[in-house]
Amino acid sequence: MATVAIPRTPSKGISLPRDPALLVPLAGAGVLVYLAVLPLIMLVIGSFQAEVAPREFIYTLKNYQHAYASEYTYSTFANSLIFASGSAGLGFILGTMLAWLTERTNTPLRGIFVPLAVVPLILPGVLESIAWIFLLSPKFGYLNVWLQSLFGLKSAPFNVFSLPGMIWVHSVGQVPLAFLLMVAAFKSMDPSLEESAMMSGANTWQSFRRVTLRLLMPTAGSVLLILFVRTLESFEAPALIGIPARIYVYTSEIYLAFNEYPPDYGRGGALAVGLLLLSAVGVWLYTRATKEGKKFQTVTGKAFRPRQFDLGSWRWVGFGFLAVYFLFVVLLPFLVLLWASFLPFFAAPSWDAVQKLSLDNYRYLHGFRPFWDAMTNSIILATLTASIAMVLTSLVAWIVYKSRLPGAWLLDFLAFVPITIPGIVMGMALILLYVAFPIPIYGTIWVLLIAYVTRFIPYGMRAASGSILQIHSELEEAASASGASWWETFRRVTLPLLRPGFAAGWIYICIVSFREFSTSVLLATGESRVLSILLFTMFEQGQVTVVAAIGILMIATLLAIVAIFYKITGRIGLQNN
Amino acid sequence: MEVFLQMFCRWFSKRSAFLIVAFTAGLLVPVAGQSQTLDELHKAALKEGGTLNFYATLAQINAEKILPVFEKRFPGIKINHVDATSDKLVARAVSEARGGKTLGDVLQVPLENVSQAHDQKLLLEVTLPESAEYPQAMKGSFWVASDLQFIIAAWNTGLVKKAEEPKQYEDFADPKWKNRLIAEPRDLEMLLGFAKYKYKSDEKAIDLWRRIAANNVEFHSGHSQLAELLVAGQAAVCLTCYSHHYPARIRKGAPLNYMLSEGVASINATAVFKDAPHPKTALLYARWVASQEGQKVMAQGGRTPAHPKVEPIDKTRTEKIYPISVADIKEYPKYEKIWKEIFKLR
Repeated sequence: MATVAIPRTPSKGISLPRDPALLVPLAGAGVLVYLAVLPLIMLVIGSFQAEVAPREFIYTLKNYQHAYASEYTYSTFANSLIFASGSAGLGFILGTMLAWLTERTNTPLRGIFVPLAVVPLILPGVLESIAWIFLLSPKFGYLNVWLQSLFGLKSAPFNVFSLPGMIWVHSVGQVPLAFLLMVAAFKSMDPSLEESAMMSGANTWQSFRRVTLRLLMPTAGSVLLILFVRTLESFEAPALIGIPARIYVYTSEIYLAFNEYPPDYGRGGALAVGLLLLSAVGVWLYTRATKEGKKFQTVTGKAFRPRQFDLGSWRWVGFGFLAVYFLFVVLLPFLVLLWASFLPFFAAPSWDAVQKLSLDNYRYLHGFRPFWDAMTNSIILATLTASIAMVLTSLVAWIVYKSRLPGAWLLDFLAFVPITIPGIVMGMALILLYVAFPIPIYGTIWVLLIAYVTRFIPYGMRAASGSILQIHSELEEAASASGASWWETFRRVTLPLLRPGFAAGWIYICIVSFREFSTSVLLATGESRVLSILLFTMFEQGQVTVVAAIGILMIATLLAIVAIFYKITGRIGLQNN
Repeated sequence: MEVFLQMFCRWFSKRSAFLIVAFTAGLLVPVAGQSQTLDELHKAALKEGGTLNFYATLAQINAEKILPVFEKRFPGIKINHVDATSDKLVARAVSEARGGKTLGDVLQVPLENVSQAHDQKLLLEVTLPESAEYPQAMKGSFWVASDLQFIIAAWNTGLVKKAEEPKQYEDFADPKWKNRLIAEPRDLEMLLGFAKYKYKSDEKAIDLWRRIAANNVEFHSGHSQLAELLVAGQAAVCLTCYSHHYPARIRKGAPLNYMLSEGVASINATAVFKDAPHPKTALLYARWVASQEGQKVMAQGGRTPAHPKVEPIDKTRTEKIYPISVADIKEYPKYEKIWKEIFKLR
């Protein structure tokens, strides 16, 4: 998620004036304002309203008092902080270890671990939490039961229903992101700096500590920050583990303010505004840090290959770490879901349980309408969100970086705003906005589509602007010189050249939409229910083995989407993304 | 004339629906919604678009056996089942109303939550013809009981030996149950039911639950999940589980048993939203589920019917019943406070 500092150099050749097609970018800008800004305004207004009688409102500051001066204010703040910093720290350490071992050392078989490290990206957060509850629940968790019988322990060694449990579950979900960001950092590091250290007499450890680590500092800071913000905004572990364990963080407090009787929107809104500010500060620090990072530039025009550290006999320790990590952290959650999906009810592995294994849950799902409805909704939403977000952001990126439209910087800013909006806050804002909307979209998948598109615009922007910048204006100038209109130029020259970035952004948004939970939890109901929400409700209703089967099918669908995508892009030569 | 016609219809609606269709086909012009037969109401409902927004706590495991029967009985109507825990559903309805819109047609949740929705002025005051067959305690000006649920104790037979099986709630005060108990945090009905009907004394009820609380009860939300946790061996005993969750699981081979000597009975009620987008469809469902026909389907779907003439399929009724009345619900805040304090819940 490292942002690229992009120089804004308005090109000379293309002019927009008095072209009727000008309406297209203007409409794009309008859409952006509507999507990103309006919900926030609703949210802020709502946070100052109190309901004195059914449907009678007054304006007050009391909500903020309830939200920030109650007996729970401190514990919620402390829990959120511990949860976010713990998760960011652990995710970062694990991700960095993986990245360093696979990228910069001679650990045996490191090559096969690189793709494996990214695999958990397709495990939705809800499933991640459920899988770890199966493994680490104090009473029936497989790992606990196994360790207890192995060492004759009196009580369970782990309890997932705790703050450390939440931290663990969330951070293992974040490792792939940390890994990818750190791999990029390691890859772009100029080895001559380390070599000079060695030449000056430093040993491997010294050069690692005094050169490698120092060079990594700016990146490390920004990665930690982004992990911190993402944890703060997450709702999966807080919902599935935190709420039963009565450990509340901001996202769960907001959720409960909305979902307990009597619902307290004012307090929920006030909490949401606070969370929004916190994450905005985090994002602001992050963008600053990544800009600062440019001072310590590690990429130069010189061709180089990062040097590998020789770990000596320690390389087997590295291999052991990688092997244990993949067995226990990547493979085990999949396996436990797969196993549970064949059980009639949750049971510890035993001969007795093996005899009970069957395909009943899958057969049940075959005739279970809510499952098919949710599957259809999820697929429609994922593909539509990806397509709309990418078209929209391609347009916006083009306006920002290629047109000479005044105020283009504002568009750039607007397209970045949604990254600061936590999913649950977005859900809340959209309820307030759309319940009484003249077009009845509340309660349908269209409101979810709006939510997803808004949330994932920043991702689309990154993908689109990267490619836009690579297109030299000459090409467009040539088109307009040959008499093409603005729209023709955009459609026939710019868009085709954009394809690689477009495709990469599309697949990423498709995946994150398919697994989305924290916005959907407030917006998806009844017939607009998506898979992640079906998982959550059915888990709450206790049909855990059916939930496992749904999870397996969900993973299979995601794999299929990725596979189809690779097949298509492979044909048009986009594999480098 | 109009009055006579209505009376005539009401009288007839107590007879079988088929008879009415045979007798009145072509004879009667459609009268006010309530005095129509279900089939006439069905025809009128179809004009509303064929959707029913059904806000109900009915678990999927029951819903999949009950709702399709309704959809088959009344072709062209599709139920959009919005399911969540009861307070979430009411909160949702309230937030929708707050935004200026009613989206739900029917609300079918515990009576306590129905009464919350009524406090928020969301429900229609209506007397369904079918409710005539219910005793006073099972209906009100804006609701009819849809089914009963009995809060009982259940256990994992792998973790509780035959010899130590509990006989009554007093048994759980024994220290041998320490760290072996789970319960639902919102089940203050247990305290209230014991205080009002078991002991007829607040002190005695509070004393018992305090002694049970000393055994360190673990809390989990959702009764189905409690049952599932019990199956999985998360705990030995569930103190506040629903009896109707057990027969089906035991048939599947789950290592479970449950105590039917005593239990608190709470009412699930059906109500129609005042500004329901599909008012006739809503009425159709509410009347159907209150009818003997609908109640039989509820029983087949694994619930304990509320209709006095319909028997449950499984053993779900307790010997001693402590029924929570509408008046009791008004006292919830008082008992909720004590309940939370006993178990240190927030």
